[in-house]
Parts: sequence; C-alpha cells; structure tokens
Amino acid sequence: MVYGGYMIHQYKLNGYNIVLDVCSGSVHVVDDVAYDIIGLYESHAWEEILSQMAEKHPDVPEGELSECYDQVTALKDAGKLFAPDTFEPMAGQLKRRTSGVVKALCLHVAHTCNLNCAYCFASQGKYHGERAVMSYEVGKRALDFLVEHSGTRKNLEVDFFGGEPLMNFDVVKRLVAYARSIEQEKGKRFRFTLTTNGMLVDDDVIDFANRECHNVVLSLDGRKAIHDACRVDYAGNGSWDRIVPKFQEFVRRRGGKNYYMRGTFTHANPDFLEDIKVMLELGFTELSMEPVVCAEGDPAALTEADLPIVLKQYEDLAKLMIERRREGRPFTFYHYMIDLTGGPCIYKRISGCGSGTEYMAVTPWGDLYPCHQFVGEEAFRLGDIWQGVTNPGKQAEFAACNVYAREACRDCWARLYCSGGCAANAWHATGSVTGVYEYGCKLFRKRMECAIMAEIDRQFHENE
Amino acid sequence: MTHIKTIETRNLCDSAKNGGCGECQTSCQSACKTSCGIANQQCEQKADK
Repeated sequence: MVYGGYMIHQYKLNGYNIVLDVCSGSVHVVDDVAYDIIGLYESHAWEEILSQMAEKHPDVPEGELSECYDQVTALKDAGKLFAPDTFEPMAGQLKRRTSGVVKALCLHVAHTCNLNCAYCFASQGKYHGERAVMSYEVGKRALDFLVEHSGTRKNLEVDFFGGEPLMNFDVVKRLVAYARSIEQEKGKRFRFTLTTNGMLVDDDVIDFANRECHNVVLSLDGRKAIHDACRVDYAGNGSWDRIVPKFQEFVRRRGGKNYYMRGTFTHANPDFLEDIKVMLELGFTELSMEPVVCAEGDPAALTEADLPIVLKQYEDLAKLMIERRREGRPFTFYHYMIDLTGGPCIYKRISGCGSGTEYMAVTPWGDLYPCHQFVGEEAFRLGDIWQGVTNPGKQAEFAACNVYAREACRDCWARLYCSGGCAANAWHATGSVTGVYEYGCKLFRKRMECAIMAEIDRQFHENE
Repeated sequence: MTHIKTIETRNLCDSAKNGGCGECQTSCQSACKTSCGIANQQCEQKADK
C-alpha cells in the first residue's frame, strides 16, 4: 500500500490485526475499527471514512469512531504512522564511505565433498571446477588480506565452507591458530563459523569448534526419508543415521553457544514443517530451514503449486513456536528472530547484503568472488588475495546494489527488513544482480509477517 | 478506549543520526547462506552496551 512516499502494510494473522509503518519501523496492533480507519485515512476525507465505517460497523457509536480517528492522527503527528521515506539519498552512502573495506570472508577450504547431495548448488563441492583443497599458505594470505583491507573494523567474520570443510580440517585448525596469534597485535576480533555435513565430526572437531567457533551450521534436512533421498554418499547410501548421533553430541557439548541445525527444503518436501518437528524431536532447538537454490526446471526446484503449501508451513511454524514457548519448550527459527528495538540501523537496512564489497568468497586457489554462490562463475571473478580486486567494473555492480536500485523493491513493504534481497538469487532468476527473485520475495514477506506476529505474541504474553 | 497498541521499536529515522558504523554481521554470512535478510541481525552498538 503506497501513499505517495508513505507506506503501511496491514495484515491479519493468528487473531492479531497488525499495521506496519514501513519507514518509521513502527509496529501497531489494532482493533477492527482502527484497522479499517487506517486503511482509509490517507485516501479519504473524514466524512467519507465516517460514512463507510458506519455502514461496516453499525454498532460502533460515532463518538468512538471519532476517538479512534484522533488516535490515528496522533500517531501520524508523532511520526509513527504514514512516515515519509526520506532514506533514498542515503542509499549507497555507507558503501561509498567504506569503499574498499572488507570485513568478512567465506573461505572455501575444500572444493570437494564426502557427500553427493542431489541439490547441491556447489555441484558436490566442485563449483563447476576441479576438486581441490586450500593450502595453509593460501588461507594465511587470505586472512592477511582480510586484516589489511578491514580498515577500522574490529569484528572480522570468517566462515569455513566447502564442499565439506572438515576434509581439510588440519588447515582449518592452523588458520584459526594463526588468526588468534595476530588478533591482539592487529586490534581485530575474528568470529569463525564452520558449516559441516557432519560426516567427519568427532571429538577433536567438537572440542575445536566449541572452543573457537562463534557459530556452527550443521546440515540436516529433517525426516530421515527426506534427508536420505538427497544427502547420500558416493555409494548412494543416506547419511542420516551416521550424522544425527554426532550432531546430538556436538550440540550437547556446545554448552549454549550458537549453532544452527540447517535444512534445505525442495519440491520433495514443501511440507517442511514436518522436518522441523523431527529436528525438535531429536532435541535441536536452533533451527534454520531454507528453500533450495537451483535452476528453474531442476526436479528439486520449488513450483508455483508448492507455494501455498510453503506459505502455510510458515504460518503453522509460527503458531507452533508460540505454542511451545507458552509450554516452556521454546525453540528458535533463524528467520523468525527479530529484534524490534535492537535491530540494524537504517544504513544497514538500505545498503544490501554486502556481497562483492565488504564480503567475498575465496577459492582454494586464492581467487576472490562476490560471494560463495558466485564461485565458479568466471565472469564474476573479482581478483585474487595477492593483487586484490582487479575487476572493478564487476565490483561496481555489487556496490550499486541497494534497496533503491531495484524498482520492484520501492513498492514492497518488506524492503527495510530484507535490504533488497540476494544478488545470487536475483542473478539466477533474472540474469541481473539488481533483478528480483519474486518467488523468494513471496516467501520472505510471509516470513516477516509471521516473525512480527510471533514477536507481538511474545510481548503480549511475556508475564504469563 | 484505546484502539491501537504500539509495540516498542527502533525508530529508523532516528537511527540515521548515529548509524552506519558497519560493524554488524554481514547479512547471510553466518547461518542461512542462501537468502538475504537483515531483520534478525543485531546492531553491534546496541549489543556492546
């Protein structure tokens, strides 16, 4: 809903009437009368609103309608309803101000994998290229590159990714030791993340990750039959039975530190809530379930027929979260984590994801790509960790990505919650990094509606 | 009667005044790796306080 520079979004979910004022970030929970008055407020005169409301709500006295109208007006005057979008001139400012600063690297320490997952966007870890592992020397240079280009940033993020990074675990350990050895001298703080399929998890890995990694991402698709249909070894055997006990031990010993049990859902399981329930039954409580990324026409790709099923899963998931929270058995769903008072500032919200500018992926050979999802796409190679960025034209395309660079985002109420979407998804869907992957947008908007509703419910029932 | 309950949120217009330090987490770096979103990220300035 656009009112010439103002934007609100109204929706009803799980018994709540919710009004979002997009540009101020305000969230209002309203009764039916206020819901309807807000919908008419900017486009109709009071007399017209009164006439329509009298017809729709014949039992509500005029005095009460008038009182409600005044409450809407007060919120508008306070900048919490119909706030104008004044942010466009700021778009790109953050990136320009920090041009050349890199603060996060995805280190592809192993372009090889011990699983042969059918839907892997990395082509079983090879990224359309040869199998390879990163040497210590390349990894060390990548860390030095990060420090050298991090400017005044203190927090540096490094993700060990693959393929399967534990196939090069010795190098991972040595790189962490090196990073720790220079942290103090360089005035930096490294936050490491390890993403693993679990096959090589053992006591050594658990101890190391629980000591050194800010976060671990553990790949599990949920139901055994769903998981084993895709996540198979090279002999075609499912991996569920082998990894689940390891993940349970891993998480048990993590002692409350961050982790995500991360699944992928595809055309085979648009009813992914059933997979989330299995994760909960297994004792996992920090969960992430992601729509598959693949080419249109791929048998795994989500279809239009899957869409209503997926959207319903998101709603039911939010209701399950609320139910379990009230029962004292809470769990976290990555996309429903929302901090309405402590979330990102407006610069972050309009700047886009940072791929190709503050965030890059490094191949086993030291080549730089805008992010892990572009690795192997030669046209997107930005440079390498020795010479830095040598393809400034390509980097400029990513630097120009922001909320206002995408026409479709201008009319989207969720733009300040998503910051313009994923460049890789956009490129796969439209051939341009500033395109829009509309299917993903539909899922994102539903997730935000659910996340905000669940947060409202939490606040309303906080003291119960 | 009150028809509207306003939830406490960060005022985005105000955040323009002292925002933009760039210390917060890169959007999809840490968990999902496949979809961008910033709603679930924390402001490092607030986290440090």
